[in-house]
Amino acid sequence: MGFEKFLFYVFALITLWAAGMVITRRNPVHAVLFLVLAFVSSAALWVLIEAEFLGIVLVLVYVGAVMVLFLFVVMMLDVDLAALRAGFIRALPLGLLVAGVMAVEIFLIVGPANFGLEAFPPPDAAPADATNTRDLGILLYSIYIYPVEIAAVILLVAIVAAIRLTLRRRPDNKSVDPARQVRVKKGPDRIRLVKMAPEVEEPFGASPTTESGETS
Amino acid sequence: MSFDAANLLPILPEIAVLVTASTVLVLDLYLEERNKGLNHSLSLLGLVVALLLTGFVGGGETQILFDGNLVRDAMSDLLKGAILVVSLLAFIYARPWLKDRGMLVGEFYVLGLLAVLGMLIMVSANSFLTLYLGLELQALSLYALVAFERDSKRGAEAAMKYFVLGALGSGMLLYGISMVYGATGSIELGPVAQAIAEQGMSNKVLVFGIVFMVIGIGFKFGAVPFHMWVPDIYEGAPTPAVLILGSAPKIAAFALAVRILIDAMQGLHADWRDMLVILAVLSMGLGNLVAIAQSNIKRMLAYSTISHVGFIFLGLLAGSDQGYAAAMFYSIVYAVMATGAFGILIILSRTGFDAERLEDLKGLNDRDPWYAAMMALVMFSMAGVPPTVGFMAKLLVLEAVVRIDMVWLALVAVFFSIIGAFYYLRVVKYIYFDKPAEDAPVLATTGGVRVAMTFNGLSLLALGMFPAALLTLCQSAFV
Amino acid sequence: MLDNYLPILIFILVGILVGVGPLALGYLLGPRRPDAEKDSPYECGFEAFETARLKFDVRFYLVAILFIVFDLEIAFLFPWAIVLDELGIFAFWAMVVFLGILVVGFIYEWKKGALEWE
Repeated sequence: MGFEKFLFYVFALITLWAAGMVITRRNPVHAVLFLVLAFVSSAALWVLIEAEFLGIVLVLVYVGAVMVLFLFVVMMLDVDLAALRAGFIRALPLGLLVAGVMAVEIFLIVGPANFGLEAFPPPDAAPADATNTRDLGILLYSIYIYPVEIAAVILLVAIVAAIRLTLRRRPDNKSVDPARQVRVKKGPDRIRLVKMAPEVEEPFGASPTTESGETS
Repeated sequence: MSFDAANLLPILPEIAVLVTASTVLVLDLYLEERNKGLNHSLSLLGLVVALLLTGFVGGGETQILFDGNLVRDAMSDLLKGAILVVSLLAFIYARPWLKDRGMLVGEFYVLGLLAVLGMLIMVSANSFLTLYLGLELQALSLYALVAFERDSKRGAEAAMKYFVLGALGSGMLLYGISMVYGATGSIELGPVAQAIAEQGMSNKVLVFGIVFMVIGIGFKFGAVPFHMWVPDIYEGAPTPAVLILGSAPKIAAFALAVRILIDAMQGLHADWRDMLVILAVLSMGLGNLVAIAQSNIKRMLAYSTISHVGFIFLGLLAGSDQGYAAAMFYSIVYAVMATGAFGILIILSRTGFDAERLEDLKGLNDRDPWYAAMMALVMFSMAGVPPTVGFMAKLLVLEAVVRIDMVWLALVAVFFSIIGAFYYLRVVKYIYFDKPAEDAPVLATTGGVRVAMTFNGLSLLALGMFPAALLTLCQSAFV
Repeated sequence: MLDNYLPILIFILVGILVGVGPLALGYLLGPRRPDAEKDSPYECGFEAFETARLKFDVRFYLVAILFIVFDLEIAFLFPWAIVLDELGIFAFWAMVVFLGILVVGFIYEWKKGALEWE
């Protein structure tokens, strides 16, 4: 137990430090990278409470995908940091006050008084071959099947909304479509001979404008 | 794991809406530009089928299915029907606007239908998880609809505000849910109610959770002081999006409140009642007072929404079956009125012009007397003038409040609705007693829109004179 | 169960050591004599023309969000794959419906050209 407790404090401290850096860094890219660190160390915390599947999904989905999205978004926006930080000091006292009150309230409610060890004694450590991926799977695909299908519909909305809001055709696009290239047949598809009147090259130095000026 | 196909019967309406949305999404890819109207017809067909199925599977005993995630009862039957009818009207009104602006594309209907699906899921949810997922499905679709006009800066700004505040509201709700789960050990409404009955008021965690849940509900309804997003979004979003998000979602929000506060938390009525009193008084007061100062009719209707939300809360906080039925009646009626009001705004719009200012309604009677009459009916109903249904709705709610000896609250409500009558009647004055602008063209509308608007307007009158049928249905949901 | 994760912990520690070690050694052992000219930003001998941070194209966002959707699908598939033989045909059809809904979205994004970079 002692070593686990030690690990808990290490990862908890890393999480808090990284979260603090996220909101104080001037460079938004650094902030996102610290957010990645915060997610990774929270994933470690989740593994410590034997929620291994959730911990791994946190790394897989949040660190692997959502944070990439965050980085893209941060790099996509032209964030003016000076303007963003302008109201920071002025709003700080009020923000701290609200945050402080919330923290005290949450401590009083979630703290040892209501969720202490007397009310919720620690469960026995799971055996080495226990897999909570299986436990989750059993629940998800029997009792919670209806919510799972709703989740699929929510993902569908995400696809439709993202494409509708950001996909644009580019009229200046000059790339060729390989599929159409391959389908070209012998004959008129490849080359087309056009008859036209011969073009006489203009004498050197005579620009079209002066010529038209002379004839009129 | 055995599975009984009969379990699927009660969600047939939801399945119908989902299948329609998927079909429209795929079909739209293969449709030529001139055939895009098919999207519209298919969506309407899907909603009608869902409506018929709701009637077909509805009625009878309360059924709890999918291991307690889903419930089909009298309330879900009626609210599903109301949501589908209101959305049907909204889609019919939206079509000319979309067609004029080249936005008659499949995505609008897909997102609209999926928002409707989210609402249907909410009204028949029996666990916090289903409730939350339905809410998110509805909200995500609506965010996208608000930003649908993607080259419009105002639309993007409105969508951003809606998204950030909507996410904040959802977060509050989720936090409250986690507290209640911590205190009761369940996310299913029935077991939560049971656990609360056993523990009662002694549990601080529960009360803390309720505070966050009420805040979440307040956000979703747009009640003061969680109303900041409403006027900006109504003003900035394209009118068809406002039409969809300003009408049926209020019914869904009502279902959210009933499922959480009554089905699960009835035992803590004394705790949430006082919070709702504050929200109701502030909403009625601020909504009605600020609406007077608006020159933009969309903003005016936004503040009017806020004041109507106050009335819905009055019925809920009464804590009696009579009060709940009155609130349910009120929210359905409000959704019908809001659809009518925004429908008229769409009819007044044309290519390159959106009716937004109060002046745009000037002389509507000279331009089209029938639509003028319908708009006047909607405004009279919102103001609560007899014999329209708005009067009945207000009367029922006030009666419920008086029954629980909160006469002062009823007086406050009456006072503010008298103030509110001013700006509704001002609209009627614009319609009938002012001359139209010189360049105002004759209204070009289709027959379908006219039929729908006639149904919409006259239903307000009919329900006002014969409220018994709808009222009985509402009362049967709470016995 | 946590014992299973001990190798991973050791792996993380070694990984950090390998990553941080060379940097720390270079920082400690290398000579550093900074001056104003050395520290100023340069572009092939010129003064810097503009900020190095270019705005990314919005297409990256679309790719990332479509990736997230299917990444999440994987998160649903893992538990399903483990319990399939226990839950049997019901879980099979449940996943067919789940994937069916996402396939509708996939057809849409393919036909719309959201997967093409142009």
